Amino acid sequence: MAGAASDDAELLGLHGITRQFGALVAVRDASFTLRRGEIHALVGENGAGKSTLMNIAYGIHRPDAGALRLDGRPIVLDSPADALRLGIGMVPQHFKLAPSFTVAENIVVGAEPGVRWGRLDRAAGARRTVELGRRFGLELDPEARVRDLPVGLQQRVEILKALHRQVRVLILDEPTAVLTPQETRELFTTMAALADAGTAIIFITHKLREVLAVSHRISVMRHGEVVGTLPNREVTPEHLARMMVGRSVLLRVSKTAARPRESEALRITDLHAQGERGEVAVHGVSLVVRPGEIVGIAGVQGNGQDELVETIAGFRRPSAGRVEVAGTDVTGADPRAARRAGLAYVPADRPRVGLSPASAVWENLSLGRHREPALACGPLLRIRAARRRAAELIRSFDVRGAGVDTPASALSGGNQQKLVLARELSRDARLIVVEQPSQGVDIGAIEAIHRLLVQMRDEGRGVLLVSADLDEILALSDRVLVMFRGSIAGELDAADADPEIVGRLMAGLVPEPTPAH
Amino acid sequence: MRSAVAIAIAVVIGGLLVAALGHDPVEVYGLLLDGSLDGWPNIAVTLQMTTPLVFTGLAVAVAFRAGLWNIGVEGQMLMGALAAGVAGYAVQLPSALHVPLCLFAAMVGGAAWAAIPGVLRAYVNVNELVTCLMLNPMALLLTGWVSARVLKAPGPTNKLPDIMPSAELPGLSQFSQLNAGIFIALLVALAIWLFNRCALRGFEWKMIGRNPRFAFYGGVRVQANSVAVFLTSGAIAGLAGAEQVMGVYRAYFDNFSPGYGFDGIAVAMLAGFHPAGVVASALLFGALNSGSAVLQMMTGISKYLVQVLQFTIVLLLAAHFTWRRRPRPAARPEPAAVAGHDLSQPLL
Repeated sequence: MAGAASDDAELLGLHGITRQFGALVAVRDASFTLRRGEIHALVGENGAGKSTLMNIAYGIHRPDAGALRLDGRPIVLDSPADALRLGIGMVPQHFKLAPSFTVAENIVVGAEPGVRWGRLDRAAGARRTVELGRRFGLELDPEARVRDLPVGLQQRVEILKALHRQVRVLILDEPTAVLTPQETRELFTTMAALADAGTAIIFITHKLREVLAVSHRISVMRHGEVVGTLPNREVTPEHLARMMVGRSVLLRVSKTAARPRESEALRITDLHAQGERGEVAVHGVSLVVRPGEIVGIAGVQGNGQDELVETIAGFRRPSAGRVEVAGTDVTGADPRAARRAGLAYVPADRPRVGLSPASAVWENLSLGRHREPALACGPLLRIRAARRRAAELIRSFDVRGAGVDTPASALSGGNQQKLVLARELSRDARLIVVEQPSQGVDIGAIEAIHRLLVQMRDEGRGVLLVSADLDEILALSDRVLVMFRGSIAGELDAADADPEIVGRLMAGLVPEPTPAH
Repeated sequence: MRSAVAIAIAVVIGGLLVAALGHDPVEVYGLLLDGSLDGWPNIAVTLQMTTPLVFTGLAVAVAFRAGLWNIGVEGQMLMGALAAGVAGYAVQLPSALHVPLCLFAAMVGGAAWAAIPGVLRAYVNVNELVTCLMLNPMALLLTGWVSARVLKAPGPTNKLPDIMPSAELPGLSQFSQLNAGIFIALLVALAIWLFNRCALRGFEWKMIGRNPRFAFYGGVRVQANSVAVFLTSGAIAGLAGAEQVMGVYRAYFDNFSPGYGFDGIAVAMLAGFHPAGVVASALLFGALNSGSAVLQMMTGISKYLVQVLQFTIVLLLAAHFTWRRRPRPAARPEPAAVAGHDLSQPLL
């Protein structure tokens, strides 16, 4: 375990790793070491680079710079097969199993025992499954079909599959995301047992409690960099929360005091909504956004912010409660109705929701506004007007590298974001909901985007800002709401919103939430 | 460009095949060309064979542009043909009304059959490939039953009574069954081209095909529009049936189609799903089909040689598709695939 262990305890080392995807630097000069028999948590927000770094350790991506070492010797991984041969295994977040095959078949596939003349020895596979199960306390019926197993047991199959390959390094990518609390506890028991038996584990997550419950050491990633590695006993949840969302560069926004009006751009009353797996994601949220103010929602990712925004934008039906945009009830309406009521929405998932990457810039700038009188003439689309307006928007929002006919996929992340902002902010919206405006965006563009949001506020629009970046929230918001486990854990005025206090609220450390109005 | 390469490779493979059978490829291709394009009689046959493929190719292309695979065009065409056949003999009207009525009936028949996969796809997320594949033989059996039992004309053949002369599409040539239906086909192609380019809904359908979640986010009612796409596609398929009944056979004959609906898929793929391209590639397929009959008469080479060419083209184009759609190891997930998007998942 940790303690006085020096670097000769290093089992797997990633040193100075950099990896770029197009213009986006996903991992920058990151170093990470895993010691024998330790559980090492890798935490960070979505997009912080955790998965990219681990995909490099598992041979899915090759680093642009940096070196990998196993047992102190340099290694080069060209594929996951290389990684497995060297004893590095990964349990993916979304299982890659054959549902109609048996447990034993899924475990041995790729390295089948007792193959003779191309015939699979089923009995040997079953024996192996039972043997592995006994040894690691992960017992499973080898003849059961994977599709009949609950998720927790399917995960066991994935783990056994890796153990069958005799891995010494086991990477678990967000293993608890799909588990019930009970299954999570069982997984933690298994992890501890594996670590005691000598298998080192890398545990990717963004849930702070789990990190502290199970890991020996913790590494935090932010914006593609490893910002620190600490032994478990030296950190607190609030400390971790601060490190994860951290201080990003250049987050000073010059703005005057807000002059909110009496009317309401958004009113949410006692909203409840379920997440993807039917779990309670939003639990009794009430809030108001007034024209002329920016309300920021802070929180560690996965505390209901996504579902809250999806419910406002018409992507998710609430199970109870009420949503009004500029006085119009849009509870359970579709995005079309929410737009009509005056919503402009800048989603976090640009390539899948906010854009059509394969389509031209002018098409991306027109959809959603193509039925406005300026672009529609009866049942016809005024293409020339649409293209002309696209050219104007490109100029006024300073979208670089874009002509009206350039496919959106050819633009950098920051310019794609500007494309979305250009379309959404140039319409006469009453409420602007902005999600992760600077995620995957280069620093130069961040500033421009922030200025734009303040300008929108000063024009008298209501802005609801959801961001995983605490400094972004603090720099832009006039009021800050903190979400924890689906509820508003606290509300602060910009003046009182000290990073320490917000960090505590984000970690769920203030027992009694201040009542939101 | 891609299509030209596919055609060229298919021609080479066909040539090798012909050579292996002991014929001179140059001579065989020359005969194929002569047989389809040399002189008005041959051209008239080629154009007759082109007409149904323009309709079915357009039907497939319209759906594909919105990300939907309507491979049920064959069945929809049969239903449209049956409807036109019934309206053609059962009603008495002046020609100026009777022809439009029959065309309309065919469109309704085709659209109704297409509504089934459309609604299942949009609201219950049933894969349209599966439903379409099942509905094709069902349409054949249903129309077969109607023409053999329910409304059978007297005589040995399984067919409906002849349509009234007032419901016929005027013929254009004494050498073939080429008829005014070809003008309707070209008109539909032009209409689709304009719709794709200029209509708001055409823009929305394109964006649904590109990224349904983005379309939904942009205020497009994706589910209702997917049904509308299927209805439109089915109506065009129905017109293919109408042209055959009103212009070629002058009655509904059981099992009349040699697979125009399936050839439509190949035609649309070769065309890159563009309406003007559909006309061109339908012409190519029509010429091959008509030339092959001449070829068989003159040399004894089976007319199936032409099908080998056609299938090779499709195979090459399809291979390219799969190649392109193989997931690349990217950091961020790929946006929605070109076709076959999941409608139920992204919405609500």
